[in-house]
Amino acid sequence: MTERVAAWRVVCAKELRETLRDRRTLLMMIVVPVLLYPVLLIVMEQLFLFGLRNLEAEAAPVALVGDAPPLLLRLVEADSALRVVPIDGPPEEAMRSDSVAAVAVFGATGGEDGSRSVTLLYDATSDRSNRARGELRSLLDAWSDSLLLGRLEARGLSPDFARPLALADSSIARPEEVGGYALGRILPLLLVVITLLGAFYPAIDLAAGEKERGTLETLLTAPVHPRSVVAGKFVTVALIGIVAAGLNLGSMILTFQTGALQLTAAIGLEVSLPLGAVLAIFATLVPLAVLFGALFLGIAVRSSSFKEAQNALTPVYMAVIVPAMLPAIPGIDFGPLLAVLPVAGVAFFFRDLMTGEAALGLGALVLASTTVYAVLALRFAASAFGSERVLFGGGDEDAEVRGGFLERLRARRGERGVPSESEALVFVALLAVAFFWGGIQLQLRLGERGLLAAEWLLLFVPAAAFVAAGGYDPVRTLSLRRPGGSALAGAVLLIAGAMPMVWVIGWLQTFVLPVPWELLEGLEELVTADTPARLAWLLLLLAVTPAVCEEIVFRGVLLGGTRTLSPWRLVVLNGVVFGAFHLSFETVIRFLPTATLGMVIAWAVLRTGSIWVGVLMHLLNNGTIVVLASTPALRSTFADPEAPPPLWLVPLAAALFAAGLRILLRLPTPHPGHGPDPTPQP
Amino acid sequence: MIRVSTLTKRYGPLEAVRELTLHVAPGEVFALLGPNGAGKTTALRCLATLLRPTGGTASVDGIDVVADPIAARSRLAFLAASMGLYERLSARELIAYFGRLHGLGGGELGGRVEELVELFGIGDFADRLCGRLSTGQRQRVSLARALVHDPPALVLDEPTLGLDVVSGQAIYDFIERERGRGKAILFSTHQMDEVDLLADRVGVLHAGTIVAEGTPAELVAATGEASLARAFLRLVTGPEVPSGAGGPP
Repeated sequence: MTERVAAWRVVCAKELRETLRDRRTLLMMIVVPVLLYPVLLIVMEQLFLFGLRNLEAEAAPVALVGDAPPLLLRLVEADSALRVVPIDGPPEEAMRSDSVAAVAVFGATGGEDGSRSVTLLYDATSDRSNRARGELRSLLDAWSDSLLLGRLEARGLSPDFARPLALADSSIARPEEVGGYALGRILPLLLVVITLLGAFYPAIDLAAGEKERGTLETLLTAPVHPRSVVAGKFVTVALIGIVAAGLNLGSMILTFQTGALQLTAAIGLEVSLPLGAVLAIFATLVPLAVLFGALFLGIAVRSSSFKEAQNALTPVYMAVIVPAMLPAIPGIDFGPLLAVLPVAGVAFFFRDLMTGEAALGLGALVLASTTVYAVLALRFAASAFGSERVLFGGGDEDAEVRGGFLERLRARRGERGVPSESEALVFVALLAVAFFWGGIQLQLRLGERGLLAAEWLLLFVPAAAFVAAGGYDPVRTLSLRRPGGSALAGAVLLIAGAMPMVWVIGWLQTFVLPVPWELLEGLEELVTADTPARLAWLLLLLAVTPAVCEEIVFRGVLLGGTRTLSPWRLVVLNGVVFGAFHLSFETVIRFLPTATLGMVIAWAVLRTGSIWVGVLMHLLNNGTIVVLASTPALRSTFADPEAPPPLWLVPLAAALFAAGLRILLRLPTPHPGHGPDPTPQP
Repeated sequence: MIRVSTLTKRYGPLEAVRELTLHVAPGEVFALLGPNGAGKTTALRCLATLLRPTGGTASVDGIDVVADPIAARSRLAFLAASMGLYERLSARELIAYFGRLHGLGGGELGGRVEELVELFGIGDFADRLCGRLSTGQRQRVSLARALVHDPPALVLDEPTLGLDVVSGQAIYDFIERERGRGKAILFSTHQMDEVDLLADRVGVLHAGTIVAEGTPAELVAATGEASLARAFLRLVTGPEVPSGAGGPP
């Protein structure tokens, strides 16, 4: 233990020393956080003031069309911000050609006591036009007031006659609260981004960089545990992230609190964060930096070069920025659900700390969840350093067979293997997109027959073509193995048990998710048959067809391509993809039940090595729903998704499910080709 | 001192090293001779505990590399072919870093670093960042780095790769000296002259396994060829040596 402590310190001290000699890291760690931020604000302020002056300096050309009253004309001419110009032709054209910024079009006079229409033409996308419109409008208001006054006076009424209420707004927020509110929208994002940038390059340099330069090999021949090496590197990256975040926080507070900026003074922004809030922000930045450090390190070490690591980390960077931007969107209230959302929770907590509304419970939740994520990320990073495949295998497993997809297809033809994970996933993703757009078109044009066509033409045919054209072994890729009697029996029991359980899941969901009633009614109508012929058609359309077409895609290609994963990962991935495939904006509620079914079927197919088991289970599930919906006596029981499933069903389902599991688990393992394929190495 | 017994390393279907057996005694230099892709680096990496063997055993100074890799590393100096050095550390800092990782500290560490700087003639560039060193200088720093804990066994993966004659000679001198100090030295190469010059014994590695082993003279005699180079070529390509290829250097 003492060896380990000492070793990680040695590693950390060396990494810090080397990192501090790297100009790129210093830039990201000190220069950017400290200088760029105030500089950026000053530049923005100058640009803003410059623009303001520019707008004010030049009088905006406006035109008055129709019979403009002379009094108003004099008012407009007296206004230095406006310049009256004559226009020919329709005012819209003059606006489009930019020769005027705004036009007031006067309607006919409304007589002595009537009302006269005035239309203000302006371009909402132009600052100049907006300003001209505002100016013109206030003049028109003033003119309207003077007309009203004249009318009141003529009747001997006081001006208050036309103003029974004297309205005035008054915000109770103190100036610093307003400042905190405005800053609370952007500061969290900037703090998160700076923390991230601080950890970004060191993580790449310390992991992928070390691999690229060939020093990792020597480092790992030193008599220290790989864990100490990870620990030392990770502490370095996290420290740099924390320093960057701390410096950024300090610089930001100084920038705003000195009040040196004219902009903040001009618009009444006053920022003063209490010391407690500053400390709380810093305390939250620590686990955030830890999370980023470990996550980046874990990803970077799986890449074989600096460039590859940068490519791998960029999507992560994007994925982190999006939740950090959430606090800037108005109308989102911070609650427990957001608090446990990675990064978003931190950003919201920062916002609430800055506006002085932070709740202690939520803060604790953010801190705790971020710490949990950080620990998970750390385990992820540590696992890479223990794996020789990651350390010496390089990033690309297909290294020997490079070239484009076609070259790889040709190279594969000889060996008749199964698709790789990425090939299978890309194929299913493309298929899902094609099915989504193509399926909608076909259904719109052909109705139910379109649905049938979509399943066969957009799922079955492409999947069969993929296996044939890709030169894959159809038997192994699609698990085309004849199932035994006990495999089929087990599968029937399993799905019989799974269906009520899925029903329970669906019912439980109605407590948290909205029920799309309209859609359900439509669906019910679709699956309800009143004649035997209709029932047969529905069974073909909704049971047989999906059982064949969807199984060949999900339990065929997808399962065949992901056999390198551990079984439980494969099953979860398969279910999630299957659930996502059935997802649309209105049918979020379908995701979990469908994903669960997908997992159960995927497991059964994996266990038996036979896609026919999946086809049977899918057929039974969908067929049962069609039959139940078409049986009037049973329909009412199932019609209301908010009604609880009958209680007696739950133990029965569990018993059936367990019996199915037992039978399938007793089966011998499918033929050797179905074990995880070892990955070839250079 | 170095013992490898039926060592096998498999990557999926590919067998990079197949039932490799060899041993190197203290004061002995063993050359692992093989063409590119014969499995030299994989075998040495298994010995250096960087890779986990699929089968068989390997030990250094009686310590099994799989059972106790950390203890095995402290008995072993490993010089990787990549010669990677930390670009932003000076030569002296780099040697000291590895010294610390080996548990040295304080005055003992300082003394050892200066000793190595002296021994390998690093003095002139000891405080220059490694990123600015020439290939020959880098190799000397790499050796000093590997030897910082003065282990009884040395494993060198192509130590003269990419070096000019002068730097190469420095490596030869170094190997001679360490042999004299009773170290067991195992090095890989595909250069015959190195083997002739240095090795007490040589093992010819082909397709992951040793196809012939003995002193250089024994190998030449056993194959009936005129030189070690021709003997090697015959061993790794079969009896039909293409005429004109692989003549003596």
